[in-house]
Amino acid sequence: MADAVRLDGITKRFPGVVANDDVTLEVERGSVHALLGENGAGKTTLMNVLYGLYQPEEGRVVVDGEEQSFESPGDAIDAGVGMIHQHFMLVDTMTVAENITLGNEPRKWGWLAVDREQARREVRELSERYGFAVEPDARIETVSVGVQQRVEILKALYRGADVLILDEPTAVLTPQEVEELLAVFEELTAAGKTVIFITHKLGEAMEAADEITVLRDGKNVGSVSADDTDREALAELMVGREVLMETDARPSDPGDETLCVDGLTVEDSRGVTVVDGVSFGVRAGEVFGIAGVDGNGQSELVEAITGLREPTAGRVDFEGRDVADWSRIDHIEAGMAYIPEDRQERGLVMDFDLVENGLLGSQHASAFAAGGRIDWDRARDHAEAVVEEYDVRPPDPDARSVSLSGGNQQKFIVGREFERDPSLLVATHPTRGVDIGSTEFINDRLLDLRNAGGAVLLVSSKLDEVQMLSDRLAVMHGGELMAVVDPDDVTEEELGLLMAGEEPSRSLSSLRLAGEES
Amino acid sequence: MSDARADGSPLADRFSKRTGITVAVGVLFVLLAGARLAFPDTIAGDLFAIVTDRTTLGAALRFAVPITLAALGGIFAEKSGVINIGLEGLLIISAFTAVYATDTIAGEGAATQAELWLGLLVGVVASTLLAGLFAVVCIEFRADQIIAGLAVWLIALGLAPFASQVVYDGPNTASVTTPATVTIPVLAEIPFFGALFDASPFVYLMFIAVGLSWYVLNRTAFGRHVRAAGENPKALDTAGVSVSRVRYAAVLLSGVLSGAGGGALALSIGQFTGNGATMVNGKGFIAIVTYLFGNYNPVGAFLSALLFAGLDALQFSLQTVGTGLPSSLVRVIPFVTVILVLALVGRTQIPEAAGDHYESGED
Ligand SMILES: Nc1ncnc2c1ncn2[C@@H]1O[C@H](COP(=O)(O)OP(=O)(O)O)[C@@H](O)[C@H]1O
Ligand SMILES: [Mg+2]
Repeated sequence: MADAVRLDGITKRFPGVVANDDVTLEVERGSVHALLGENGAGKTTLMNVLYGLYQPEEGRVVVDGEEQSFESPGDAIDAGVGMIHQHFMLVDTMTVAENITLGNEPRKWGWLAVDREQARREVRELSERYGFAVEPDARIETVSVGVQQRVEILKALYRGADVLILDEPTAVLTPQEVEELLAVFEELTAAGKTVIFITHKLGEAMEAADEITVLRDGKNVGSVSADDTDREALAELMVGREVLMETDARPSDPGDETLCVDGLTVEDSRGVTVVDGVSFGVRAGEVFGIAGVDGNGQSELVEAITGLREPTAGRVDFEGRDVADWSRIDHIEAGMAYIPEDRQERGLVMDFDLVENGLLGSQHASAFAAGGRIDWDRARDHAEAVVEEYDVRPPDPDARSVSLSGGNQQKFIVGREFERDPSLLVATHPTRGVDIGSTEFINDRLLDLRNAGGAVLLVSSKLDEVQMLSDRLAVMHGGELMAVVDPDDVTEEELGLLMAGEEPSRSLSSLRLAGEES
Repeated sequence: MSDARADGSPLADRFSKRTGITVAVGVLFVLLAGARLAFPDTIAGDLFAIVTDRTTLGAALRFAVPITLAALGGIFAEKSGVINIGLEGLLIISAFTAVYATDTIAGEGAATQAELWLGLLVGVVASTLLAGLFAVVCIEFRADQIIAGLAVWLIALGLAPFASQVVYDGPNTASVTTPATVTIPVLAEIPFFGALFDASPFVYLMFIAVGLSWYVLNRTAFGRHVRAAGENPKALDTAGVSVSRVRYAAVLLSGVLSGAGGGALALSIGQFTGNGATMVNGKGFIAIVTYLFGNYNPVGAFLSALLFAGLDALQFSLQTVGTGLPSSLVRVIPFVTVILVLALVGRTQIPEAAGDHYESGED
């Protein structure tokens, strides 16, 4: 029997990059195939080629034994290939059924009107067949991310997809939702469908896939059966060298509270309360972690602490002074460093070179600006020092930020912020979208800062990482801190429940550290 | 999930605000009625008489035609993601063209009713062509929609009076036949509301257009594609529907509807007058306000157009009655009211991707 999908020597170039370099991929029908690789490895590009969004410069796409040349996603859909992108392609203001049938509406009265009854019925049937509980009449904006993802899967199935491609489907889910998604994969393959999913998480690939293909720098560096491999071997394939899987976190020896947040309430730009009376403290010499699914108020909390957003109520005490209504530059000068979640939006000016970017936040500091004039020689020395010490590649202070890879942009930001010699570092998703090598490096620097007596507030949605690095760990849901727990004691399931806003069966007080209020 | 909460509450208070306005208008009406009974000879008394007069309703309906039709066009365009601020220009160009065409077709004698409808059709074609130009500039050449829309207005504002100057030696055209009133027996006899059944055919055309627009937007596949193109064009594109084709269709449709509006405006008077802001005089801009107030619902847009037109009719009657107020002050009543109402209603749900360019295959 022919493979469901066969990509043969695919090469796809973008200006300045070879995103896919002679990649060959075979996917057996009825199997789950994981496409594993670091960010920028070319996974999304390869799948976009299979989905007809990009046309490859070289190579053949074979679906079901037939060679295809897809001009557009429409052609791919006709050949039974459906793709669920990382960012969902749903119309928020429409219902589940309207979204699923969009572009393929059942009609009545000689094509004039949409047959809404039939659409609803078909959607209900389809969702029952695969054991999805989705309500056809619910509006997309009212359902959870997990349900939206199912709607996307149903959309592909409705169009007759036999091969389903999912781009990083687990990135937006809680651990429980991930489990449910993996169960959905089983239902799908049991019904004869083929699933290809992209991930950069080793554990997921091992757990869910029958076969794993690893991409590195646009090349296929190996396809292995999930039963015949282990995490270390996969990590080595991904990175191209041996990786230490655990960062060594020595027990901490915390001092006084550097940051004390009390009853902090923050509204978003629409006036909705997104941080609701949050209180906690971060002590010198400890990493305080905040875990949670994105969009539960973490961003606004951090913005309020760092002076980017004015809280509506509550206090932010930094080294004993209430800084809630201080300006941003006052925060920086008082010794609060910040690694923002969106490095391209907030961390760097993409069109500036590294010398200029290294100055950001220090543009008034006497070291660089005396008498209203910037001392460019010093600024250059500074950028060079950061580049060297933090292993930014290429090591060229004149390079524009936009030409650096994500990991190197992030290393530069980390370096710039650490060079301020901060007493508090606020880091939001510091390793998001960063390759394993740089991740290791950044995490080590965070721990170095802690060991040198700095306070670190770490916000992340990567559970394993935040659990490994934190000395104390809080979980945020719906604008509130659900609990503050000991990261060595709490299980991933318990964290998952807290992230979903539920109480784990073990009573919270036993999880909560003594003397801690949340 | 938190999004749902966020969107739920403004929606709820928008509805309560709308209800509030309706109640306030009702209370005002009752107060006026009371005043009429108690002091029949005061201004308040006169006002009540005017408000409840069927000729006021008749005038309001007539005034509402061009505004409503342009607003329907604006809804289609903006729902699809193209903000068409050039409605005013589309009204102007079709107003002139419809009269000129009717006059030309009729030749020496007075135009027949059939020739008048043919004239309207030519007006629609002219407006659709101009809308097509706007669409090409916005969709194909990715021009800024606001600037392109203003250009449409300025082109029409210059072109129509100029053409009139060339053909008629002045900013005003010759006079042509006006449409015969269509009276529906029995129903036309109903007090006050009889005005609904004793009206220009353009008024009926408007009602049909409102109903059809609602149906097309909410019940047909095309309507769904229009809404998707304005909310999340990428979703539509990946579903295999061409976003630019949908947007072209929607913008052309805005040309058709505005063209009917402009033609109806000029033909119901029988002349195009091109002095100053021309006879269109801001109706295209008011149309934008009415569909925003109506939250992109054709029926809502019609009702707010009727509110504005009603105030306009009222303001006319007040001038004839004489209130002691300077007439220039009375004339701004409809505009001020519309601004107040808008301020009270607050945010409408603007399509997510309105004003954004979209190109397939772009990230
Ligand atoms: N549309 C594009 N234009 C230019 N470069 C691109 C584009 N899409 C991806 N790339 C580049 O191609 C490489 C592979 O990207 P991608 O396929 O998104 O990787 P992955 O999904 O594995 O993280 C990266 O270097 C990225 O910068
Ligand atoms: Mg990707």
